[in-house]
Amino acid sequence: MAQQRVLPQSKETLLQSYNKRLKDDVKSIMDNFTEIIKTAKIEDETQVSRATQGEQDNYEMHVRAANIVRAGESLMKLVSDLKQFLILNDFPSVNEAINQRNQQLRSLQEECDKKLIALRDEISIDLYELEEEYYSSSYSLCDSNDLPLCEAYWRQDFATLSPESFSMPLTAATAEQSVATSQSSTPSHPHVNGHGAGPTEHS
Amino acid sequence: MRGRKRKRRVRRPARAMAGYGVANERLRVLEELEREIGASLQSAGTVILELSKEKAGERLLERQAAQFSAAVQKVESELSAQIRYLTQVATGQPHEGSSYSARKACQMALNRVDYARLKLGELARACEQMLEP
Repeated sequence: MAQQRVLPQSKETLLQSYNKRLKDDVKSIMDNFTEIIKTAKIEDETQVSRATQGEQDNYEMHVRAANIVRAGESLMKLVSDLKQFLILNDFPSVNEAINQRNQQLRSLQEECDKKLIALRDEISIDLYELEEEYYSSSYSLCDSNDLPLCEAYWRQDFATLSPESFSMPLTAATAEQSVATSQSSTPSHPHVNGHGAGPTEHS
Repeated sequence: MRGRKRKRRVRRPARAMAGYGVANERLRVLEELEREIGASLQSAGTVILELSKEKAGERLLERQAAQFSAAVQKVESELSAQIRYLTQVATGQPHEGSSYSARKACQMALNRVDYARLKLGELARACEQMLEP
């Protein structure tokens, strides 16, 4: 069902003014150019002397040429106004430009997230292997709390292990070792996502 | 490989510009009309200059006069078409569309990447320190 869209008075008036300016400027250019060509014709009989007629024609041509230039500049201003009007009011183009921009930004965001997820998966595999190595080594036996690898890594005590920490009772060491081996035998990846997971969760 | 790389370099600008093709097409037409207005005035000036000579070349005069007339008619017809299109399309209301949300989400994704890069850099430095004798 076709509905006649009513433009606001200001917009309609503005577009009508654009039309009028276009018609007036084009008419001015054509008329002045035609008159210059007519004036260039040399007539044998003149009402005034030839010199006076020549001066008059010279002045008229100057004025008409200036009119042509003024009309040309007015047309340039009209084109500039139309560009501005187009940018602000051409909704189909603006909508398409916005959609395209959104698509580009979304695809870039998805690419970033995809790469981060791939990086996360790779690092989680490496982390699992490191934790396997850590918990099956003698370093994990020295720590009574048996912290996760990341926390043990960042602890200052880990960097400065004292000799007394190595001389733990043998029973305590073997008990912790059995806990460590039971951790390593679990089929899933218990340390991959649970950074704060301790041995108590797995036993 | 070089040929493939060159093709990729050519594709990217075209892909980027294709998104704004319709939006830029009308603006490009208007810019061309500006050049056309300048060309028409240039032709008019050439005609008048040729007329001022003792012996005016007829062919040059006719050619330049035809160019002037064609340019002015083209300017008038194209501008009328643009004004007609705007009369059909303009609503008088301000456009409230925005790409801010997508831009913000993309910015956050880039921040995540930067943060991950920062943390990996710290981890790499720590590993190098540990491996130093």
